[in-house]
Amino acid sequence: MAASSASKLFRAGRSLLGGLKDPNGSIGLSKDLPRSYLFSQQQRTFIQMRTNLKVVDNSGAKRVMCIQALKGKRGARLGDTIVASVKEAQPGGKVKKGQVVYGVVVRAAMQRGRSDGSEIKFDDNAVVLVNKQGEPIGTRVFGPVPHELRKKKHVKILSLAQHIA
Amino acid sequence: MRLEKCWFCSSTVYPGHGIQFVRNDAKIFRFCRSKCHKNFKMKRNPRKVKWTKAYRRLHGKDMTQDSTFEFERKRNRPERYDRNVTENTLKAIKKIDKVRVDREARHHTMRMRGKKTMEQREAAKELEQSIHMVKAPALLQQEPSLTLPKIKVKVSQQLSEENRMEE
Repeated sequence: MAASSASKLFRAGRSLLGGLKDPNGSIGLSKDLPRSYLFSQQQRTFIQMRTNLKVVDNSGAKRVMCIQALKGKRGARLGDTIVASVKEAQPGGKVKKGQVVYGVVVRAAMQRGRSDGSEIKFDDNAVVLVNKQGEPIGTRVFGPVPHELRKKKHVKILSLAQHIA
Repeated sequence: MRLEKCWFCSSTVYPGHGIQFVRNDAKIFRFCRSKCHKNFKMKRNPRKVKWTKAYRRLHGKDMTQDSTFEFERKRNRPERYDRNVTENTLKAIKKIDKVRVDREARHHTMRMRGKKTMEQREAAKELEQSIHMVKAPALLQQEPSLTLPKIKVKVSQQLSEENRMEE
């Protein structure tokens, strides 16, 4: 009887651990949700050190890793500037791999509240490289940009943008 | 200020509510509440989800074409402020809403007509077939008054025919 109770406890412990590892584990399985549901319930947070961002201008860089968020204790959000290191670059561009650059976050997966009370969020994290004065290094910007940039005085980026969300 | 439509359920999104999701191809999806947003993230097709307007329109449960819908078309020209126009518009909105609700009610009644007769036909058939579940057949033959225990007889002619058949 002791052995059976011990085995029961062992099984209970195992299921608990299983629940802890998998964020939606037991609940998800019991409701029989599709696999994709588990993956799409991500908690989106700020852009902080080591965050990889996509570069959406033609300055030459492809991917960039955030080193420092210039404002904000927890990290950068939509419309903030960051200091980043170029991780991947096109061969003949204005910036090279390993260079430290400034960037403006133009798309963030974390939702940002607007003054009218609604919230907006994008599909990915994207950045436009700028110089110290805030002027973009590239000459084109791809994809949609939010109009939060207007308040942050990044008018040049807005003018280059194809679509303002 | 603009009243948008939720992409998933087609209800109006008032200012201060909901989340806007901008996809990289610059398509904007607006959601009225997290229920719709979560369904979207699950990649559900609103045309297949029963409680959305898209499903109801597609399956003929709600009105599709009506002249009252023309008034709600999206217009991108800003109107110059004119007090009289605003006043008239507010009155018109009320009237149009009333008309639309009346028409939707009428559509609903048209959709549901024939349900009552069908229900009664089915009830009579069930009575004829399944009366043995309520009363024993031997007992029914003995006392014919027991065949109709406490049923409200609206279509009295049909059921009295059943009664005569039992006898």
